[in-house]
Amino acid sequence: MKQIVPLHINGDIHEVAIEPGATLLRVLREHLGLIGTKRGCDSGGCGCCTVHLDGKAVYSCMTFALQVAGRKITTIEGLSPDGRLNRLQDAFVEAGAVQCGYCTCGMIMAAQQLLDVTQTPTEEEIRRAIAGNLCRCTGYHKIVAAIKLASAP
Amino acid sequence: MAKFDVVGHSVRRPDAYDKVTGGRGFPVNVTLPGMLHARMLRSPYAHARIRSINASAAEKLAGVKAVLTPGDVPQKKFSPLFFMPTESNELIRDLVLLSENIRYAGQPVAAVAASTPDIAEAALDLIDVDYEELTAVFDPEEAMQPGAPRISPTAANNIARTPTLSRGDLEAGFREADEIFEGTYCTQRVHTCYMEPRVCVVDSDMQGNLTVYASVQHIFGLREKLAYVLSRPESGIKVVKSPYIGGGFGSKLDLVYIEPLAALLSLKTRRPVRMEHTRYEDFITNARHPMKVYLKTGVKKDGTFTARYAKTIVDTGAYATHGPEVIMVHAVFSFFSAYRCPHQKWDGVVVYTNNMLGGAFRGYGAPQGCWAVESQIDEICHGLKMDPLEFRLKNAHHEGDAHPFLKQFTLASYRLADCINQGAERIGWKNRSRTPSGAGTKRRGIGVACHPLWVSGCVGLPDIYEHSGAIVKLNRDGTADLATATIDMGTGQNTTLCQIAAEELGIAAESVRMSYADTDTVPFDAPSHASRVTYSAGNAVKAAAGEARRRLLQVAGEMLEADAADLEVRKGIVQVKGSPDVNLTVAEVVSRAESPLVQMTAAGPKVTTIKEKGSIIGVSSMAPPGNPSPCAAEFVEVEVDTETGAVKVLRVVYAHDIGRVINPAAAQGQVEGGVQQGIGYALMEHLQFDPGTGACVTGDFLDYKMPTAVEMPAEIESIFIESDEPTGPFGAKGLSEVCLTIPAPAIANAIFNAVGVRVRDLPITPEKILAGLGKL
Ligand code: FES
Ligand code: FES
Repeated sequence: MKQIVPLHINGDIHEVAIEPGATLLRVLREHLGLIGTKRGCDSGGCGCCTVHLDGKAVYSCMTFALQVAGRKITTIEGLSPDGRLNRLQDAFVEAGAVQCGYCTCGMIMAAQQLLDVTQTPTEEEIRRAIAGNLCRCTGYHKIVAAIKLASAP
Repeated sequence: MAKFDVVGHSVRRPDAYDKVTGGRGFPVNVTLPGMLHARMLRSPYAHARIRSINASAAEKLAGVKAVLTPGDVPQKKFSPLFFMPTESNELIRDLVLLSENIRYAGQPVAAVAASTPDIAEAALDLIDVDYEELTAVFDPEEAMQPGAPRISPTAANNIARTPTLSRGDLEAGFREADEIFEGTYCTQRVHTCYMEPRVCVVDSDMQGNLTVYASVQHIFGLREKLAYVLSRPESGIKVVKSPYIGGGFGSKLDLVYIEPLAALLSLKTRRPVRMEHTRYEDFITNARHPMKVYLKTGVKKDGTFTARYAKTIVDTGAYATHGPEVIMVHAVFSFFSAYRCPHQKWDGVVVYTNNMLGGAFRGYGAPQGCWAVESQIDEICHGLKMDPLEFRLKNAHHEGDAHPFLKQFTLASYRLADCINQGAERIGWKNRSRTPSGAGTKRRGIGVACHPLWVSGCVGLPDIYEHSGAIVKLNRDGTADLATATIDMGTGQNTTLCQIAAEELGIAAESVRMSYADTDTVPFDAPSHASRVTYSAGNAVKAAAGEARRRLLQVAGEMLEADAADLEVRKGIVQVKGSPDVNLTVAEVVSRAESPLVQMTAAGPKVTTIKEKGSIIGVSSMAPPGNPSPCAAEFVEVEVDTETGAVKVLRVVYAHDIGRVINPAAAQGQVEGGVQQGIGYALMEHLQFDPGTGACVTGDFLDYKMPTAVEMPAEIESIFIESDEPTGPFGAKGLSEVCLTIPAPAIANAIFNAVGVRVRDLPITPEKILAGLGKL
């Protein structure tokens, strides 16, 4: 039986009719058209689906939508609400950290959380923070460089 | 002054803006009104015959719109490879869309379209299949034995093909040798791990015309194979190019089951049908072929090759598909033509097994060959007490030599020696100790390997598509639209091709936009594969842009009352050579060409002439003029923990000759990603299967380990030796594949340097290191 729940996403409240088993990933992509959040595996292995839940990076494919009713959710679309790239997004473009781009949104969400809590992270902290996000194109080299660039004072 | 205004600069990728804010352009995002969702039922058995299928309960489930079983689909045999003509004699056509004969665990047996993915999934459980299980065989050498289960009815001893290559007199070559080295080198099955799943949406109209959106590396290949399998005219199928796809690395060079099944389901329901793989399905769809390579090599004391023999056994899996093709590319480019040697022979065996299908993966047979050849060279050097760099330089081809395989070409740009020397300098080769040294449990070593010969396209290879085409159209605001069928799977050609067009047109890189394309509107193109796009598509884009520029100068000549031959265009300004004050902007010229009788300008209305009229546009469709070889040397430093057997790659220096570098940042990105895939291949990646059932047991990213940011070295240095390839666009050659062929042998050689352990079968796990150290 579907239930209607309020989801607080990027500052908006969406009332969505949800199957109990529906993941947050599925609701974002299929109900709300928030397609920046990507499905790479649907099993907690790739990080393409990373969003922020109350400011913490989580895999939306491993999160039931029902469980997060009323909590603060931020997706990639929420990072540039005024249509301008935020500092980290701009650094990804500038550093050449985007290749196919399929991992990019999840990667940025993971890195953004790090920057939200650590102003100038070390290389090791950066690598740890994105260790749950797979990228197959870049070798992470320019991704790490982009995160450093965004955290430079 | 720089030679080029646009080429050679790391301009920002225009598609990156979209990708950092949500990546709307991926095929996975395509939805259409009224769209149905389809899923496939797959066989749990690796070898079986279907006695009967009853789908009536599934058909009755509310929301189910159509079900397909083997009896509902064409039983036409086909080969799924996009890059060769379907009717090619070289291809073994033995796959059918849905068959009653099951040859691998996971082979699709039925498909369902329903109003939601959940209903489609639920319907699969209601399909009743009665299987007669047959004995399966998974090991290629067992499969070749008399009495082994028969997989293909037409292949005796399950052998699909046994090609050979030979030159000179092998026995005489071995007689001339001072020493002979032998070894067998094995590689495992690995997956490309593109991040965007295989997905398609197929729509049909009332006349049966199909429109297809898919995550593939070749829109024309998809059109051709679909038309063939469905026995429909190509003109009735339009494949739409996605602005970009989420990786491919070779895996998206085949028709897989989803596209024809979605097409049939759409034709049956008259609704758009979407089909997307689960990650498990992606893992079992195609993978790099495991190979076993036996090498016997004769050398003089001074390190000169006298004779080289190789035998390769390829596990092609349940159907021939790529096996008979990949083995040839493997043999030619990673063994037979890699170094100079007068006497050589190679034998190949392509074997059917009840394993999943092999597929294309960046390097297409080269990583397996490079693993064997470059590992053995290290062993030879150790045996001869010779420097591995000196050995390679002694046997390498030289710039200006005839192409060792494609006799119509020469190695006009070929700087392997510079790659070796400059890479050695950066890694500090001369300080490397030749024998295992150091104390304690953490030992460091440095290794090297090369990739001497590869392709920048396909010209000269008889059956592989090679064309490229482009349309360049100038806009009235002074910008240009570039349309080509070439797909950007992350390699950056949305940027580099625009740079090539911009350079040729004399406008800024940002002024060229990669625009819409589908199979109805742009010239035929070969796939994005074989390291060919920068070179082959680059040449086509340059030709189209050149044609547009000629027309631009003609119109400008009319406007300036000058001879077009006396004009030049640079940085968006058309001017008389030597008199830069007599000029027009590109925008003014293009506006004039598209104006009515009177053109409104800042200086008032101006009357136009008939001669000036018509959009300024250039079109090309051509085969590239050559197949120049990139080449590379890679140096790695590793740390081996002698207690745990763990290997850490500390530093990588990769030196390439790829001709002129169009976009350095994009080229570095290719190298860095290739190194990652190579480290995965070397140390951890391995698709594994239950030995009893043949079912994949590494079907998600928790079980299939690939390098994360933590496992990657912080130091990856790319050196580009800029040669000037005379046939390349602005001197460029290909790059992509050589980036990932070398890491595995370079790492193995570094491990040997560190701890004296030689591992000949991939991946190099801690267990193998400990066994080599006598600790297991
Ligand atoms: S889609 Fe969620 S972790 Fe892969
Ligand atoms: S950029 Fe392609 S997966 Fe990261």
